[in-house]
Amino acid sequence: MNHVDLPLWVTIPGTLLLVFGGLLVLIGSAGLVKLEHFYARMHPPTMGTTLGTGCVLITSMLVSSALEQRPVIHEILITVFVVMSAPVSAMLLMRAAVYREHRKRPEPTQPLDDIGGTIPPRD
Amino acid sequence: MLLTLIAALPFVGSIAAAFLPAGARNAAAWLAGVVAVACLALVALLYPGVQAGGVETFRFEWLPQFGLDLYFRMDGFAWLFALLVSLMGALVVLYARYYMSPEDPVPRFFAFLLAFMGAMLGVVLSGNLIQIVVFWELTSFTSFMLIAYWYHLPDARRAARMSVTVTVAGGLCLLMGVLMIGEIVGSYDLDDVLVAGDVLRAHPWYGALLILIALGVLTKSAQFPFHFWLPQAMTAPTPVSAYLHSATMVKAGVFLLARLWPALAGTNLWFWIIASAGAASLLVGAFSATFQRDTKGVLAYSTISHLGLITMLLGMNSELALVAAVFHMMNHATFKASLFMAAGIVQHETGTRDMKRLGGLARSMPITAAVATVAAAAMAGVPLLNGFLSKEMFFAEAIVVGRSLGMSITLPTIALLAGVFSVAYSLRFVHQVFFTEPSHDLPKPGHEPTRGMIVPGALLVVACLLVGVLPAVTVGPVLETAMMSILGPELPEYRLAIWHGFTLPLVMSFIALAGGITFYVLLLARGAVMSPTPILSRLNAARMFDVANVVVVRGAAKLSHLFFTRRLQSQLLAIVGIALVAGVAAFGSTGWSAGENPLTPIDPLFTLLWVVGAACAVGAAQQAKFHRLAALIMLGGAGLVTCLTFAWFSAPDLALTQIAVEVVTVVLLLLGLRWLPRRIAFDDPRRKTPRARGRRARDFLLAVAAGCGTAALAFAVLTRPQVSDLPGYFLRNSLEVAGGRNVVNVILVDFRSFDTLGEITVVAIVALIVYALLRRFRPAPESIDVPKAQRADPAPLTTAVDAPLPRGYMRLPAVLVRLIGPMAGLVSVYFLLRGHQAPGGGFVGGLVMASAVIVQYMVGGTMWVESRLRIHPQVWIALGMIGAGTAGIAAWFAGKPFLSALAADLHLPLIGDVHLSTVLLFDLGVYMLVIGAVVLMLVALAHQSLRSPRRVPVEPSRESAEETDEAEAVV
Repeated sequence: MNHVDLPLWVTIPGTLLLVFGGLLVLIGSAGLVKLEHFYARMHPPTMGTTLGTGCVLITSMLVSSALEQRPVIHEILITVFVVMSAPVSAMLLMRAAVYREHRKRPEPTQPLDDIGGTIPPRD
Repeated sequence: MLLTLIAALPFVGSIAAAFLPAGARNAAAWLAGVVAVACLALVALLYPGVQAGGVETFRFEWLPQFGLDLYFRMDGFAWLFALLVSLMGALVVLYARYYMSPEDPVPRFFAFLLAFMGAMLGVVLSGNLIQIVVFWELTSFTSFMLIAYWYHLPDARRAARMSVTVTVAGGLCLLMGVLMIGEIVGSYDLDDVLVAGDVLRAHPWYGALLILIALGVLTKSAQFPFHFWLPQAMTAPTPVSAYLHSATMVKAGVFLLARLWPALAGTNLWFWIIASAGAASLLVGAFSATFQRDTKGVLAYSTISHLGLITMLLGMNSELALVAAVFHMMNHATFKASLFMAAGIVQHETGTRDMKRLGGLARSMPITAAVATVAAAAMAGVPLLNGFLSKEMFFAEAIVVGRSLGMSITLPTIALLAGVFSVAYSLRFVHQVFFTEPSHDLPKPGHEPTRGMIVPGALLVVACLLVGVLPAVTVGPVLETAMMSILGPELPEYRLAIWHGFTLPLVMSFIALAGGITFYVLLLARGAVMSPTPILSRLNAARMFDVANVVVVRGAAKLSHLFFTRRLQSQLLAIVGIALVAGVAAFGSTGWSAGENPLTPIDPLFTLLWVVGAACAVGAAQQAKFHRLAALIMLGGAGLVTCLTFAWFSAPDLALTQIAVEVVTVVLLLLGLRWLPRRIAFDDPRRKTPRARGRRARDFLLAVAAGCGTAALAFAVLTRPQVSDLPGYFLRNSLEVAGGRNVVNVILVDFRSFDTLGEITVVAIVALIVYALLRRFRPAPESIDVPKAQRADPAPLTTAVDAPLPRGYMRLPAVLVRLIGPMAGLVSVYFLLRGHQAPGGGFVGGLVMASAVIVQYMVGGTMWVESRLRIHPQVWIALGMIGAGTAGIAAWFAGKPFLSALAADLHLPLIGDVHLSTVLLFDLGVYMLVIGAVVLMLVALAHQSLRSPRRVPVEPSRESAEETDEAEAVV
């Protein structure tokens, strides 16, 4: 790797953002391991996929712009894609979990509705 | 130039005829007729050039560095045959126009007939032995297509298969023989071979090459013991029998014998092989012909017999016999074709070929009867007809040639005996069909045919008569020209005349006539006219052929059963095992050693990464049989580690491609999991048997050994210094020579584009194979049912085709994924376009696009997607191949080798400078092909669930699902 000098106004916020993003991902991963059940575990990784990724992308924008001597904002596209695709997998995973849970119950009384919730029994 | 035209015209006509609509009878017939007459005119035009030993040649240098030329050569003999082929062709086309029924797809018939004509003219006019073999095989092929013209008849299919097997096998032998000649002489040119007779005859290979060539020639000319295909081939339409199976194609064998006569004849071996095969066919054919019930059967066996006569003459090693042979080739073609036409007319007008039912047709069809009678008389060798002349020459040679006492008795006896039989069968044919009591048992009452059917046969009969009465005037000069081209300017003394004085051959002719008549009268008197052939009917060569065929097929099945298994496991075991053994053996002499390069320091992070990846890989292997989903997930993990490794070592291109590959692989495998047979539980007792344990231990050891071996190999290579400066070369030349900054992509599409072309071809083939296999795939019985999870699903994932969005929980993902669709398309095109300068390229772009399509299938369901978006993956594959190929071929027009890059820098208004290169077209080809291949596999898998029988509960509720479960449990 070539050594490149970056201006201070990039280095300091960039470093901070990278560290912060890394922390978020780490905490999210730790939560994935530590938390009790599936529904709870759905949440921690989102810290990494949202804010964590965001931090890294902002750093990338800063560093690239400084290196290229022009604004580089490709990363916004990445943000858009991540924002659009991450929830899809999360939703499908949730749905599968709900569904498995439902099947495991010994005496299912309430049928599932269209979106996977339970319908309250009629009086 | 005219020569090429003669050979090319029929093929052009054939292609044109093939494109005519099926009902275009007249158009097809006119086309064929015009082509045949044009060929005839061209041949006639060339006569002055070949007269008096002249040779017309045309040479087109095709691959001069290999000595391969397209070489046409016409001398007197070739001219004679070219005339025969085109003249017969014209007559047969006229005949076929009226013979073929309006229901038949006539353009196909004429297309193959013309193709045959071209092939036969090619055989005759080729001046290069290899070229002769190529056209030779083409005649076999067209004959196959014509015999099987009525392919709805099982007999026709069987006969076609038999004839093609025999003649093509013979053609292969001929090819081997020809290659040996080329090896000995040092050239395949006919001119060189014909003057190298002494070298060939003295060469130690002479015996082998003679046998091989004899095999080719004897199978083609239906000579004993390969004669059996010809009577079977009579299921072909009669014009085909008249043209191919009497006048021309079967003559190709004797033509080649006569052609190579100066180079190969003159030895005892030649005499024994050729003359004895000819004599055997002469007798067997003549004898069998006497007892056939089928009119065309009589003619087929008599053709065998007459070809035997010609072969025997050629085998006699006498120049006069050669003259007689060539003369008889012409004569036989004229009278036999007209006889076939007569037989076809009789069949056409009465509806039968059975001589037992036919009778007394002379009254209702007098002209046909007259034509057939004269032609049959020529066949029998009655004086004043052409058959008499050549037969007398044959008798004369049979008397003269025998050198020992035994031979000088045997040969005339054979000749006389065959003469007797040929008189008998000719007489029987005419008498039974035309002159017995009129039959009342005919499917159709016979009457005279239309003029178009009778004219060709009548013309041929007139020719028989003319030649028979005035031989020296009519065929004398032509025959002399032909003989000069074979034997050189000094011809032996021969005289074409009816009357040579009262000689022994004349006596023999009259004995044969008298004997034949007596024999037939005796048969009539004993009522044995329609009895099966004595002795020979037991020896059914066609049946033996069938038996041999079955035996060979069964033997091959047994053999492949012995050496081949359909079990994937065993095949993989063999592949890995052999690779391991081969790899170890390669180190056998030198032994393994690490290289001298210093090792790089170990990076803990990277090590951790690889530990995770290795754990994933091992886990995947361990779980593969018991928990397939878990195994697949771990496989994905290992793949991700590979991606990260590429990224780590600054190979963004590879990382990008790898991640796209991983995505596609995992999804396609996931789709495939559904159709695998039910998995075995971890604690299944079947796993505990000693045999199963042993098998697992063996596989484990093999896998570990192979893996360690690969690792050791990689280590040994990586620790050694580079032998050549290949990377340096690519880095230096990538931008300057190829104009691209992305070296990886430049290597793929420019430096090594031929490799890439091969690879994408393989990808396309694999995709097509997957598709072909899955198209007929029926899943294991236990996996046909809808999976338990889907059955109990309260809201099935299938989306109604007309609904804009799926119901329920799939709605939101569907919206998002559809939004991503076009963006992914944009990204994929972006990757494609920038590939030459920055990470990207056609392969990655194609994968991205394909994954975009895959997710659409996933959220919308197969039906929904395909009702809106018809992707034709095969078309994409084809366009991809065409694009890549065009990019390669484009270089030819610039005078550069295949796949060289052509570039142009353009200045366009608005857009600016554009660097255009065929490389981009090539990459576009890769892009489209990858999309097509991946989507094709996806579609094949996706359609499984649409096709297989499934029971979806009508009411998607919990209760009904449980009922189904219970019902299954009871069953």
